Order: sequence, then structure tokens, then C-alpha cells
Amino acid sequence: MTTPPDISVTTGPVTFANPVFLASGICGYAGEYAPLVDISLLGGVVTKTITMRPRSGNQPPRVHELPFGLLNSIGLENIGLDAYVADKLPALRDMEVSVIVSVAAETRDEFERLADAFAGCDGYLGIELNLSCPNVEDRALDLGRNPSFVESITHIVKVRIPDRVLWVKVTPNVTDIGEVAAAAEAGGADAISAINTVVGMDFDLNTGKPVFAKGGAGYSGPGILPIALRKVWECAQAVSIPVVGIGGISSVSDARKMFLAGASAVQVGTALYVEPGLPQNIIAALAEHPGWMRARVAGEPSEDNR
Amino acid sequence: MSQTVFVPARARLCRARVLSTIRLSSRYFLLRIVRPDEMPASAPGQFVHVAVPPGGRFFLRRPLSIHNCDDNALELLIVEAGEGTRRMRRLASGDSLDFYGPLGGAFPRSVTRVLAIGGGVGLAPLYYYGRRNAGGFRGTYRLLYGARTRDDLFLEHVPLEAQGVGLATDDGSYGFAGNVVSLAAAELDRDEADVLFSCGPTVMMRAVQRLADERGLAHYASLENRMACALGACRACVVPVRGARGREFRTVCHDGPVFDGSVLDWDGLPVP
Repeated sequence: MTTPPDISVTTGPVTFANPVFLASGICGYAGEYAPLVDISLLGGVVTKTITMRPRSGNQPPRVHELPFGLLNSIGLENIGLDAYVADKLPALRDMEVSVIVSVAAETRDEFERLADAFAGCDGYLGIELNLSCPNVEDRALDLGRNPSFVESITHIVKVRIPDRVLWVKVTPNVTDIGEVAAAAEAGGADAISAINTVVGMDFDLNTGKPVFAKGGAGYSGPGILPIALRKVWECAQAVSIPVVGIGGISSVSDARKMFLAGASAVQVGTALYVEPGLPQNIIAALAEHPGWMRARVAGEPSEDNR
Repeated sequence: MSQTVFVPARARLCRARVLSTIRLSSRYFLLRIVRPDEMPASAPGQFVHVAVPPGGRFFLRRPLSIHNCDDNALELLIVEAGEGTRRMRRLASGDSLDFYGPLGGAFPRSVTRVLAIGGGVGLAPLYYYGRRNAGGFRGTYRLLYGARTRDDLFLEHVPLEAQGVGLATDDGSYGFAGNVVSLAAAELDRDEADVLFSCGPTVMMRAVQRLADERGLAHYASLENRMACALGACRACVVPVRGARGREFRTVCHDGPVFDGSVLDWDGLPVP
């Protein structure tokens, strides 16, 4: 019996069985997709973003379909740190799921407290810092665009939780994403997650008003794949740590392009709403063509990229 | 947010074959699908999340309430509202269709005398309830259906009147002339009920809530909303309710779609 090919990926201190993850926001706290997807077969799941205090999220409407994608303005609704640590983390330990916890905050102090709280917990493999969600107050987004803030926050979290992975999720809504990614690397990040949603907007022609009360919202889905590929490319040029590619992956081919752009792992988000089987299809395809994972274009396409 | 234990839906991803599409009126059609073996049993009020046939610009699944389901066929009542539903209308016998479900909570079963009020495509779950109810649409489960005009009553295709469904048209072109909620009030005067069910435009269900409040009756309303995951994960489809801890958001897909009307914050619901 032949051994299955090695499609594992290592970021920092942790090795994952395969490079395919569910993106933050898709799978709230990991149990919801159980009827449709065996999430224990995935490389891992990034949870809904947790904040210090519970957030009730934005007033509806919260989603609006666009051609080739979706605008969302959920507003980081979550149960907050205390309830998450008390209720959700223990439940996740019981499922055989590799968990990356997404966290967000607005101040240095909040990040410190979040990191201290998680340092004392087990049942998860790492943290993904959400410095990039378009649907929180502008100040937080501005900080996520600020390289020295990004470096500082990354460092604060890494020193408190050194033995787990730290991924830093960067916003595409900046002029130079490479600069932000490099700052995260300097702060001690184990990987860069790129990208979060792209800020967009739509108008209701019946009312003459923006679809969302807040105006701006996050665009995701196949329409953003070209933007995500470009941003992953820029990040991969700027850092030597792995890049986790996210944004518009809707097919096995799209995942393959992410690896060509320089990703070492991928996250599937919006496409899961349409095709729950996609993550497992990507894993199966990589198992058949493991060379795709090493096919990053840095000049000549590699022999494996066929 | 609710802190109770999350129970995932008893749902499956199903690949099915289309039996037929039946045009009911200028805007409505019935999509009949071979009931897949792997589909779990469903109850009236539940819905399925249906993939749009490929090739268009819009690809999110559409949540469609189950209009009828037996061992052989699953029926969905659909109004052609845009590109996605237009592509569904063009499905032909033998075409494949992908959905997951059944999803959501059902209308309560242990009830006594029900007066159900449906508007537009909201007829679907209420019709299913009557089909599953031993007495049909008369007696302890009465169904009233309101539409804008005669064309939307599907008279040539679905024997609603013969089955005992009370009909109303806003323009008076058939049946009771006027709002179906006015017909409901007249029905209650004639013969009391203990509980009201409703499904249809928000403004109609809100009027049913007012009627329920006036008459001191319970009211269960089945809501709809724009959805992404339809599993309770993404929190896109929330509506505001007055919960134990004050104003909270509940998902239409998982906490609903059937809600006790007395806890809904009607001012905060999506319209229509």
C-alpha cells in the first residue's frame, strides 16, 4: 500500500496535515457545518473573530448579493472573550478539529488582555490577528494599515503565546500591502493571511440610498480573486514567512493559482456557501498533484506546475 | 447572542433530478424534484438551500420553503424575481439540481384550532402543513391565501379552492375583495381559532400580529431574509427579537424561520 503524499504545511511551531482551511466568519464556532462538511479532514478552521466584549453586530441587512460575489456588513458579531473561553473552546477540544482562533481589538491594551487570556487556554493551535475587517469602526481599520502598529501588536501577542502559531491577517485596502506584511513578520508573525474582504458599496435604486446603513461593506467571492492573487503575490515578495492565500477561491483551479502566487496554504470562505465540498475537493486534488503546492512562480514556472 | 448549546441542522447535501417545472402564473412556478433518498424527513415550515443553475453572474444558493414533500417528490413554489430564479424556471425534466436541507424550524404541531394566512410565495409552508394535516385545509386547520390579482391564485393549476382554501385578491378580481388579513378577521368572527400562522410579505404578517393581539391569540410567523450559509453560522440573516436579555439578534435560517410573533421586533424586520 503506497503512503499518501505529504501535503502538510508548517507555519512557525505547528504542522498542519494539509494546507486547506476555512476562513474566519464562515464557520462561526465550528459546529454549524457538521451536517455538510467533515471539518476534521481539513487542515484547520479559523473561527469567527472574537473581541474582548461581546458585540451584537450591525443592524440588518447584513448581506447583499452582487455579480460574482457578496457584500457583507456583519459587524463582527461575537459572544466575546469570556463566553468563548468558557463555552466554545471546550466544545472544540472535543471535536477533532485544528482550530485557529481569530481575534480583533482596537487598542494595545485589549490585545494584551486577549493574548493573556488565550495564553492560559488549550484546545487551539494558534491565533489569527484580524487587523483588517472593514466592518468595524474606521479607527481600527486605520491601525491595521499602519505598519508600526501592526508590528507592535504582532510582537505583543507573539511574546505571550510563543508556542502556538500566529498568523496576521492583512487588509487589501492599503497602498502597499507588502509593507504591512513585512511589519508583521518583523513583529514575529509565523504567517501572513492575505486578504480580508475588499471595501465596496452598492446602492438601492428604489430608495436612492446605500444598501448598507454604514455605507461601506466587505466584498468577497469570485470577483475578488484577481485582487487577492495580486496581494498574495506582493506579500510573498515582501516576506520570507509563509503566506496563507484567501479571497475568491471558488474552484480547485483557483486554489492552484494561489500557490502559484506564492501562497503556502489557502483558506476558503464565501465559496463554501455555494459548494460545501470545495475544501475537500482541493485537498483531494493536492493529494494527487502535490507539486502544485511547491509551484510558486519566482521567475520560471516549475516543472511540477502541470 | 444566544448562549444555549448550538444544535446543527439535520440536513444533507443532496444531488437531485428535476421532475418538471410547472408554470402557475406569469410570475410563479412550481419546481418538482425527485426526492433524494439521502434527504432527511422534513416538516412544514422548513426550507432547502438550492444552488442556482450555473452560468450566471449570481451564484449564492436560494433558500426556498418546502411547498410539499412526499416519498417521491419535493415541490418548491418559486416566484421569478431575478436572474437566479429565472435560471431555475428554465430547468427541464432530467436536469440535475443541488440543494441542502431540510433547514430551519417547523411550525408547531401540537396546536388545536389554527387559522393560517398566506400571502404570495408565503403560501408554500402553510400549504405543506395542510397537506400533512389529516384534516386538510378545513376544520381545525384553515388556510386563507391572498394575492394581488386572480392570476396569482394559480386557479388552473392548483385546486386551492376545491381543497378548502379561502382566497382573497387585493384588486377584487377573484374571491374576497380586499386584504387577506381582513378576510382572516371575518373568518375569526365566523368561527374562532386558538392560534394564527402567517407567511408572506412583512406588512401582511405585521397585520396578522395586530389581529392576534386584538383577539388574544398566539401567532407564529415564518420569516424570510437574505441568506448566505443558511446553517446559523454566518449571522447574515438575523432579525431583532425581544429576548430574555433584552434586544437580541436571531437567525432566520436556524433560530427561525418560524418565530413567535410576540417576541419579534417588528419595526426592525426587513421589508418587504
